[in-house]
Amino acid sequence: MTTLNPAKKNTVSGRKRAVNILVHLLLALLAFIWVMPIVWIVLTSFRAEPGSYVNTFFPQSYTLKNYVKLFTDRNVLNFPKMFGNTLIIAICSCCISTFFVLSVSYSLSRMRFKLRKPYMNMAMILGLFPGFMAMVAQYYILKAMGFTEGSMIRLALIIVYSATTGLGFQISKGYFDTIPRSIDEAAIMDGATQWEVFTRITMPLSKPIIIYTVMTSFIAPWVDFIFARVICRANADQFTVAIGLWNMLQKEYINQWYTCFAAGAVVISIPIAILFLFMQRFYVEGMSGAVKG
Amino acid sequence: MAANKTGSKNSVLTAVKNGDLWTRLSMILMGAGLFGHGQKIKGAIVFVFEAAFIFYMLATGFHALAMLPGLGSVEAGEVYNEAKGIYEYSAGDNSLLLLLYGVVTLFVIAAFIVLWVLQMKQSYKCQKNLEEGKHVNSFKEDVQSLFNNNLHITLMTLPVLGILIFNIVPLVFMICMAFTTYSKEDNHLMLFDWNGLTQFGRVLNMGGNIGRQFWGVLAWTVIWAIFATFLNYILGMILALIINRKDTKGKGFWRFCFVLSIAVPQFVSLMIMNTMLQPYGAVNVLLQNLGWISKPIPFWQDATLARITIIVINLWVGIPYTLLQITGILQNIPAELYEAARMDGAGPVTIFFKITLPYMLFVTTPYLITSFVGNINNFNVIYLLSQGGPTYVGDTAGQTDLLVTWLYKLTIDFQYYNIGAVIGILTFIVLTVVTLVTYRNSGSYKNEEAFM
Amino acid sequence: MATVTLKHIQKIYPNAPDEKKKKKKKNDEDEAPHRTYHLKVTDEGVIAVDDFNLEIKDKEFIVLVGPSGCGKSTTLRMVAGLEDITRGELYIDDQLMNDVDPKDRDIAMVFQNYALYPHMSVRQNMEFPLKLRKMSKEMIDEKVNEAAEILGITQYLNRKPKALSGGQRQRVAIGRAIVREPRVLLMDEPLSNLDAKLRNQMRAEIIKLRQRINTTFIYVTHDQTEAMTLGDRIVIMKDGEIQQIGTPQEVFNKPRNLFVAGFIGMPQMNLYDGELVREGDKYSVRVADALIALSEEKNAALLANDVQPQPVTVGARPEHISLEEVPGAMIEGTVDVSEMMGSSIHLHVNACGKDSIIIVPTLDLKEQNLDSGAKIRFTFTSSAVHVFDKDGLNLEYK
Repeated sequence: MTTLNPAKKNTVSGRKRAVNILVHLLLALLAFIWVMPIVWIVLTSFRAEPGSYVNTFFPQSYTLKNYVKLFTDRNVLNFPKMFGNTLIIAICSCCISTFFVLSVSYSLSRMRFKLRKPYMNMAMILGLFPGFMAMVAQYYILKAMGFTEGSMIRLALIIVYSATTGLGFQISKGYFDTIPRSIDEAAIMDGATQWEVFTRITMPLSKPIIIYTVMTSFIAPWVDFIFARVICRANADQFTVAIGLWNMLQKEYINQWYTCFAAGAVVISIPIAILFLFMQRFYVEGMSGAVKG
Repeated sequence: MAANKTGSKNSVLTAVKNGDLWTRLSMILMGAGLFGHGQKIKGAIVFVFEAAFIFYMLATGFHALAMLPGLGSVEAGEVYNEAKGIYEYSAGDNSLLLLLYGVVTLFVIAAFIVLWVLQMKQSYKCQKNLEEGKHVNSFKEDVQSLFNNNLHITLMTLPVLGILIFNIVPLVFMICMAFTTYSKEDNHLMLFDWNGLTQFGRVLNMGGNIGRQFWGVLAWTVIWAIFATFLNYILGMILALIINRKDTKGKGFWRFCFVLSIAVPQFVSLMIMNTMLQPYGAVNVLLQNLGWISKPIPFWQDATLARITIIVINLWVGIPYTLLQITGILQNIPAELYEAARMDGAGPVTIFFKITLPYMLFVTTPYLITSFVGNINNFNVIYLLSQGGPTYVGDTAGQTDLLVTWLYKLTIDFQYYNIGAVIGILTFIVLTVVTLVTYRNSGSYKNEEAFM
Repeated sequence: MATVTLKHIQKIYPNAPDEKKKKKKKNDEDEAPHRTYHLKVTDEGVIAVDDFNLEIKDKEFIVLVGPSGCGKSTTLRMVAGLEDITRGELYIDDQLMNDVDPKDRDIAMVFQNYALYPHMSVRQNMEFPLKLRKMSKEMIDEKVNEAAEILGITQYLNRKPKALSGGQRQRVAIGRAIVREPRVLLMDEPLSNLDAKLRNQMRAEIIKLRQRINTTFIYVTHDQTEAMTLGDRIVIMKDGEIQQIGTPQEVFNKPRNLFVAGFIGMPQMNLYDGELVREGDKYSVRVADALIALSEEKNAALLANDVQPQPVTVGARPEHISLEEVPGAMIEGTVDVSEMMGSSIHLHVNACGKDSIIIVPTLDLKEQNLDSGAKIRFTFTSSAVHVFDKDGLNLEYK
């Protein structure tokens, strides 16, 4: 039919081309909307004019001063100190969380014990409570333990970020579930204890999910400011990066610090963005692994 | 499970009934049964726990329990400490701490009872094994089994303790608050009392001020969650389909553009959005410079506009997530399905509604539920964008407040702890109902192994 | 190197819904997806294996065979220690093994899907069991090299399992199992992931392997050919129960019941509705109009059991049907399909309302029309007729 009617074929492909152009235009527009705020913040971080309210969209002149101020001004908002605090907290809580998450996921995926189902149901129910409903109480428990004063605040934050991570086992359990059971059984027949199966078989086979877990738990302290604010209260020398950035936008600081906020945002976004782009594969794998039919 | 439970009950009873001297002795002297039946070290450890428990109960436990019903009565002086920004209290009863200690003590007692039951069962089992000439594990073997067949105990003890101390105890503690007068209202921050379901009555009573706000916030929360979840889902899926079209060029590039916005920490991008949409923020400036508008658009000042803005910005935040998650699944749809449909003469729209959408819905129901729950609890988006505002005078809840952000304000800003706790419990109930109804009906729940 | 004794072994899966599902799923993966099971269900749960008794001699090669869901894999896994034994006793070399950990049983196992450790090279895979036993480096090297030699995988020792073909992976899996010289070697359908040609080749290699290593074998398969070629003795199972234990010869020639008769032998035994007729001390079977006298031996067996005349199912293997004319004993049929196999012709014949298969050797084939549509007459070799009662039991061995 088509060979007999070349004219019709032309109109079909013409329509197709029009659709294609439209689609690409639409995508370009959407991509612009998505990328613009990010571009804008990067531009703002290099903006020479201070203050938050300006009457031009693009900066008039560019400077690196915002970054310099961010890392040298230790008087008002001590960003380098906050950066250090957050780094320490992130490293510690990352180690603990990773251990917790992997331990719990492995146990739930591989071991069969009486409390397995109850535990999973409990995790689901606890997940339905608003996350920080327990926050105030956590604060008082930490206070009773004496962790809410001075440098103990860091310990308190580490605990807050890592203590309950045993509930977030779903993605890594999903991953462990995809490792064939018979490999474990082979190892058991070969004379391995469960511990040896865990450390010498399952762990080496689970690099993607280990990386994923390490990264998510490492990132958490950088981007949380709810818990950090409640725990730190007014202890400025214990602030984390997120509180610092939040404060930069408060009334008393915003005029002086707005462009520094932009710089700070860029500074912590870049490593996180790199980590994220690196691990999005695992994220997708974890997700589609968890829901594949 | 039911069988197990009755089994365990029986074995404690039988342990008491048929136990020998050692086993019965361990009813009072915990660990005696284990000690007497050859597990000396384990028995000693159990006994140390009992001693510690008794010491704790004598030192603070009994006092804490005794104070729990009354929550203290001695008035105290209250001084505001400017430097620390918190209230400091001179001596007197602190109902909050009394409540906390009471709750903790209840948990300690519960743990002790569990330990008691376990050691009873174990010592009876040891006794039986000895009688039947079976092997009784030595301490070394017990430790070895912690790395073999009982590995889950080793691995999960610490995580479970963490959850218990920093999630369950605090939750119970907060839930208790809902039944007290603990609030800044009438100055009950120091000393408060149990007052039953009064606060629930206040919150649920549509006539009262709090009740009116509650139903308003609840309605907006549900509307928000539905919009946020399904708009993100559908639009994200359409975007994924457009990018995955055979004829779309530069798939990787487009995906990168959208995924980039996830890579920026959410609180950063939301705060940026917040400032950009201020009356003199970048967007208004841009539009005014272009001459499209004469005065700034009140993105955050008008209730309806603020709600729409939040939903739209949430699209900006959420669509890339959907895109990321759905791309993988889309590629998993068997190509034969599409080919068969095309052979049957189905157009792109039909294919979307008859094949893609049903398939996706089937596969992603758990994801939809999670994201619905996540949206009801979506603190970040609301608090960072509008902080719940605009707020009418005399209200504690703003027009865009969700239950969670209201809860946060009530506890942290206003210190109406009891009402906050009530809101938390009600949020939980809403979520439980939604989740259970959808979850139970979804195919994916019915077979856990299908996830594998 | 070891005897294995199973006494009244029983396996019950408790009725917990997830356990049942798991079991069902595993079977689905194994073999035929649409099969209904007739496993017994009691208050305790589903009985997967019931009253399993078997004494395995030292260095014997035992094959457990049966359709999917018959409990053969479960039995094997109980011997391995991967499943708990609900009831009964398992002895290895007279030592009670019920509560012994798998690692202390000195047993090795080869899995259907090989279960090689993907992150380890072939050498590391084979070293793993020895390392766990804290053997010295020299000993490990020596043993691994020796096992690799036996299996002809020396040149692959440094590769990862990913880079190997199915047959090579199976060799590695076997290597990993034999390297520590276990008392008992268990194999769970080791060949069913291979294609037909490789399967035949590996089967031969297992026979060779067996001659080189001194160990007791327990081998699970659903393929009766494998069972016949490999086993010293075969255990045929169905629905969790043993149907017959015997040498390949015994189970082929003396099937205890209809199930065994139908399961063993390829093509399957032909079965006809018939009648057992007794005249004095002489037994014969009537199928359609034909009256076929039983051989001396069978006659004696029936006589010893004092079997009464009754309706029976008569079984005859395709190889044991002849076209030789025996007066009064001929059954008539029509050829549906005729398959030339070279050494023989497989005739699909419609007779007595049933499809039968007849194997006719071509060597001294008479001139006769055997094309489809042809009418033929056949009879059973009287020494190879099997007579089953209405419960499916072989009347000779009742």
